[in-house]
Amino acid sequence: MTSTFLPDKRSGPDTAPPAPAGGPAPGRARRRVLHWLTAVSFQVPALALFGLLVLLPMLFALYASFFRWGGFGMPSDSIGADNFTRLFDDPVFLGDLWRCLVLVVFSLALQLPFALAMAVLLNQRLRGRAFYRMLFFAPYILSEVITGILFSMIFAPDDGLADHVLGGVGLDGIGGEWFSDPSTVMATVFLVMMWKYFGFHMMLYLAGLQSIPAELTEAAIVDGAGPWQRFRNVTLPLLAPTLRISVFLSVIGSIQLFDLVWVITAGGPDHHSETMAITMFQYGFKRYQVGYASAISVVIFGISLVFALAYQRFVLRRDLEGATTTMRGGGQ
Amino acid sequence: MGEPALSRRGFLAASAAAGLSITALSGCGGGSDGGSSGTTTLEWWHIMTTEPAKGVWASLARQFESQNPKVKIKIVALENEAYKSKMTALTASGKLPDIFHTWGGGVLKQQADAGLVEDLTDRTKDWAGTLLPVAKEPYLLDEKVYGIPDDIGMVGFWYNKALFKKAGIAAPPTTWSGFLDAVRALKSAGVAPIALAGKEKWPGMYYWAYLAMRTAGIDALQKAADSKDFTGAGFVEAGEHLKELVALQPFQKGFLGAAYSGPTGQSAAVGNGKAAMELMGQWAPTVERTEGKGLGANLGFFPFPTVEGGKGALTEVFGGGGGLALRQGAPQAAVDFLKFFASAGTNRELVKKTGTLPVVTAAEDALTDPNLKAVQAQLKATTGFQLYLDQAYAPAVGQEVNDSVAGLVAGSKSPEQVAQSITKVAKEEQ
Amino acid sequence: MTIGQKRRGRSLPLHVVLVAVGAVMGVPLLYAVFSGFKSTDQLSRNPIGLPDPWVSSNYTGILGSGDFWRMLGNSTLIAVGTTVLVVAVSALAAFSFARFAFRGREALFTLFTMGLMFPFAVAVLPLFLLLRSMDLLDNPLGVILPQAAFGLPMTIVILRGFFREIPAELEEAATLDGCGPFGFFWRILLPMARPALGTVSVLAVVGSWNNFLLPLLVFSQPDWWTIPVGVQQFQGQYSSDTARVFAYLVLAMVPALAFYSVAERQLVGGLTAGATKG
Repeated sequence: MTSTFLPDKRSGPDTAPPAPAGGPAPGRARRRVLHWLTAVSFQVPALALFGLLVLLPMLFALYASFFRWGGFGMPSDSIGADNFTRLFDDPVFLGDLWRCLVLVVFSLALQLPFALAMAVLLNQRLRGRAFYRMLFFAPYILSEVITGILFSMIFAPDDGLADHVLGGVGLDGIGGEWFSDPSTVMATVFLVMMWKYFGFHMMLYLAGLQSIPAELTEAAIVDGAGPWQRFRNVTLPLLAPTLRISVFLSVIGSIQLFDLVWVITAGGPDHHSETMAITMFQYGFKRYQVGYASAISVVIFGISLVFALAYQRFVLRRDLEGATTTMRGGGQ
Repeated sequence: MGEPALSRRGFLAASAAAGLSITALSGCGGGSDGGSSGTTTLEWWHIMTTEPAKGVWASLARQFESQNPKVKIKIVALENEAYKSKMTALTASGKLPDIFHTWGGGVLKQQADAGLVEDLTDRTKDWAGTLLPVAKEPYLLDEKVYGIPDDIGMVGFWYNKALFKKAGIAAPPTTWSGFLDAVRALKSAGVAPIALAGKEKWPGMYYWAYLAMRTAGIDALQKAADSKDFTGAGFVEAGEHLKELVALQPFQKGFLGAAYSGPTGQSAAVGNGKAAMELMGQWAPTVERTEGKGLGANLGFFPFPTVEGGKGALTEVFGGGGGLALRQGAPQAAVDFLKFFASAGTNRELVKKTGTLPVVTAAEDALTDPNLKAVQAQLKATTGFQLYLDQAYAPAVGQEVNDSVAGLVAGSKSPEQVAQSITKVAKEEQ
Repeated sequence: MTIGQKRRGRSLPLHVVLVAVGAVMGVPLLYAVFSGFKSTDQLSRNPIGLPDPWVSSNYTGILGSGDFWRMLGNSTLIAVGTTVLVVAVSALAAFSFARFAFRGREALFTLFTMGLMFPFAVAVLPLFLLLRSMDLLDNPLGVILPQAAFGLPMTIVILRGFFREIPAELEEAATLDGCGPFGFFWRILLPMARPALGTVSVLAVVGSWNNFLLPLLVFSQPDWWTIPVGVQQFQGQYSSDTARVFAYLVLAMVPALAFYSVAERQLVGGLTAGATKG
């Protein structure tokens, strides 16, 4: 797959898998250094930018998370891991974790299946499908701020579009408080998220569906498989890599959710829609407890990372299973 | 936090906005530390983003410039929330604007303790005597002056006389039980008794703070802050009284998600006659007019009632204002500007054009609105003054007061839990 | 004919579903457009009907104010700056990742991908301090540089995948023709990678266009505000004039939607490559 530049066609033993492995080349030490320098010189601009503006702030946040620090001057009052122990004793933060889980479950159980259904639908030859594709995807490119303001007006109690529509069809009992009621705020926020993001996942699936060779589906038809069997045994396994990406992005998005909720509810009422990133922002920018806020950001990062690593392992296994399933499905 | 920012909401023709921001910024090329030509450029950050205040403040800056040809003023006007986020970040970076808006109290104290705010005690003592003592209080920290007021006021009930009449309430209540009766009467007359902006938390804090002042007494609030203990009987009792009120379900529909301003906000609910009253500061009439229709002659004001058996008096008030502070080491021109801004002439203009209460004794004659006059009289006769809790205390404690009282109003926290969680945060703050 | 009828008959329920979902997706947008054509009074009297009369002053007022155009210009400048920077820098790095074997490559790549896990909001305070000490506040670079830095991981991952698929024979041929590494990168790889470059550029533009927190903190002067910041400030200022806020929202959406309709292919292509946060 990959070729490397001539001076080091046979790269050293420590180089990474895609490079052709080979034995050490003793007389070429100088050339190897030169090669290394060439390769790395291409990395310098990216590394400088990334190191200065991403890594440095990240490391600083990590450092600050071990201090009681109000954001004035440099941190000096070191308190060890106190911020972290306090964090897992904080009902608001524990609530954030719970709400994050709820969002993930909602997304996986409702949003992604819905996106998949729409993708399958729009993968057929239907009049106007290009239009629908565009319409369903359009909210994704709108900014969170615009979406948030728009929906806070649509779900305004009594005066908003949502209540007028429900009132118009005689369902005024359902509407009313939306973002204002602790028991409905998460569901309403989720509706807005679905409106904004499902089209994105749908597009991913559509692309995946289009790359499934038609012969496979035709072969399944010849074998007498019905639509559901075809979906279950041909489409779904072949879509696995796409699903994997989509689930991953959806979970990471839920863990790091900020802008949209910030604009609509700022986490309220009474913390019922607060996310980890909002709690972090509240502490960092409103309470001047920057050390504590940094600890939250470290935890958000940690959760994302642990999830990513675990997911990679889990998914790799699943992908292999998917491959065998496909073979079995094809053999029947 | 930062209630007064909302006090001057209003409409602003788009063209005027464009014109203003262009004029306000013209000729503001350089940085804040003066150019080679000997002119000093002062950066002035404030929160008056709406008319009329925005325009009036800009024209005052121009007036000062024309009197002081070697000084240029560069205005940065930010919306309330944006201003606070930015100030946090600026404070962390250790350099504040030359002149900046402050609400005094705990936030200003943290900035002053970090050595970022100029001590104005000596530099303003020649003329600071012309200011109302109560207005200066929020900026007086450890007996040093760290800011000059431009606004002062107090919180009380603004009510709709017509709706009170409809509910058969003869006179505004003066005791807590009388107040609860009035709420019941309004409810049975089919009127939402109280408008509350649950989304913003600070309006709810007013109830708890006033109740604590009335039950535990005004000294207890200061003592609790010093000893970091809010678990005294008076504070729990304050929470219980608030719980009594909440149990009557006195607030408008959807109040937990309601903002203060906006067409469905607390202020519009009162201004449009959808709710009978709100507990709010001196800016309430102005906002009711801009966000809603306004109540005109039907608008009345009464002070927060006393609680039977409590230590507080009707004449003890809760409130605050706005002021200007200077960064550490600000040039003399900035002090001159404060003097200009706190002069009787300037203050009279602010009172007339932007609806604030006078902070200069000599400017009192400019006040004409009967309701504001009543507030002013109450303020002058005050026997005790308590600054907004979210400003008086350290930011973390102030936010926790707002937050846990919001929990009480939403029914997720008990009065004891409110007292405990505030105490806990206060203790964590060293 | 019979086949056609049969197909139509079967697809009818599907069309019903599509129209229903389409309505849910489209109505909020149309509602905003129509509300913008009402006065606020009319909006409260007639919240869901068509405007009567049509009031265009909300739209024309905003378009005539200059503020809106300035913000549009700022957003464009920042989006273009971010995109050029992030694509150029990422292409170099991705080239090195894809076509060189060198010590430390995987570690370095892992480092970059870890950036994907780090939410922007979290880094904002230390980032702000840094920008302040670099004197980049109220300077478009203060937004462009961090945006580009945070965009690197995704861009590098996509471009690396693409660069790896270019056949090795091409490279060997180029080397025989006397091309150095940079010559190959510049004269052969980049032109071949045009579709991928288009994709990552579109993603960078969209990300920059919608960013809110960073421009809010970096720019205190309205001169530099971008559209999301302007929208939020506008809503704060005119909160009681609902119809005007709707008009503003609609106008703020137009550039993004217009861009989308032009760049749809690239954008969708990029998502297919497994891109962007969701």
